[in-house]
Amino acid sequence: MRHLGPAAGLLLALATFPPLVSAQTATPATVTPAIEPQAMAALNAMGAYLRTLKAFQVRAATTTEDVLDDGEKVQYAAVTDLLAQAPNRLRVEVVSDQQQRMYFYDGKSFTLFAQRVGYYATVPAPPTTVELVDRLDEKYGIEVPLVDLFRWGGPRASAADIKSAADIGPSVVEGTTCEHYAFRQPGLDWQIWIQQGDYPLPRKLVLTTLTDEARPQHTAVYTWNATPSFNDAAFTFDPPSDAQKIVFTEASATAGAVKK
Amino acid sequence: MRTTTRVLLSMAVAGLLSDTNALAARAVRGSANTSVNRNVNVNRNANVNVNRNVNVNVNRNVDVNVHGGYRGGYYGGYGCCYHPVATAAAVTAAAVVTAAVVGSIVNSIPPSCTSVVVNGFAYQQCGSTWYQPQFAGTTTTYVVVNAPR
Repeated sequence: MRHLGPAAGLLLALATFPPLVSAQTATPATVTPAIEPQAMAALNAMGAYLRTLKAFQVRAATTTEDVLDDGEKVQYAAVTDLLAQAPNRLRVEVVSDQQQRMYFYDGKSFTLFAQRVGYYATVPAPPTTVELVDRLDEKYGIEVPLVDLFRWGGPRASAADIKSAADIGPSVVEGTTCEHYAFRQPGLDWQIWIQQGDYPLPRKLVLTTLTDEARPQHTAVYTWNATPSFNDAAFTFDPPSDAQKIVFTEASATAGAVKK
Repeated sequence: MRTTTRVLLSMAVAGLLSDTNALAARAVRGSANTSVNRNVNVNRNANVNVNRNVNVNVNRNVDVNVHGGYRGGYYGGYGCCYHPVATAAAVTAAAVVTAAVVGSIVNSIPPSCTSVVVNGFAYQQCGSTWYQPQFAGTTTTYVVVNAPR
């Protein structure tokens, strides 16, 4: 007995239970609470940590599935490079199979630049990145790339919609040991891989949309630089000489036009 | 300008083809449970890519325009995320000069147009029809407008 460590003790303890378990058959699985507190705690800790970052640079390799009219799914890839400085500086470049876009926000104005076609549009912007994210979404129908990074840990990150939360276990993402969590909410299943240790950064995200029977998925794998070097000019758009200015359509105007 | 854009568009489509193949190659190294399906896509590319691209250009552009992808709001309480193609039919795939009604929106314009800047904003003049390029979401579309000058 002396050479048996704690692990052996655990085995012995387990060995005493199988008769009870077998007597109750499959009930233990359903006893597990739908929302595991440690999964929610991990999510909140990640959000709180993100909100402490003064500046960060992240590169995300994403895939997005599109459902064609006949139900067939096709997958698109994109790479997003994002540089953010709290509370009101943002620069993003997205290169996808179909689009190349750059986003500039310097705390005063916002510019979207379509490099391939040489068009850009600039509008006055609210004073913080968090407000910008909402404004662009509501007024112009523009989703800031990797928008979750600005919502987690913020005032709009309500957990009320989450109906199921589970800790799936350890998982290595691009060489970094993470803890893998799975969540369910109406219309959407999603999974997140959060770095273990003192820096609980999201390393991977998978969304599965349930409202389409084809269940398209979106995935993002994040590579982080928590100590980026940059200067303030990075956040201000300086139009190339051959670039031309165009306008944004407002989301409500677009919807009206499409109906006609 | 229009010619340049056309060339770029062709290049973009060519890029789509090669990117798709590269993507499939990468996908082999992806998660095990989906690699089979992605491999099927590799085979399909050789057969029907031309037709597929037509669909992609029309539907995908509108998708991005209207819905902006998955919205990222799942944890913020939006409800949902990604919408399939629902409004694609509302936007004409390509402009027809003779049928250009002011206010109509197209994803692309005829090949022989002239880029004109009026009051600092870009327009495309195609014969007697004027288009104003715009960002609808992050997608560039063209709305038919009255002559700005």
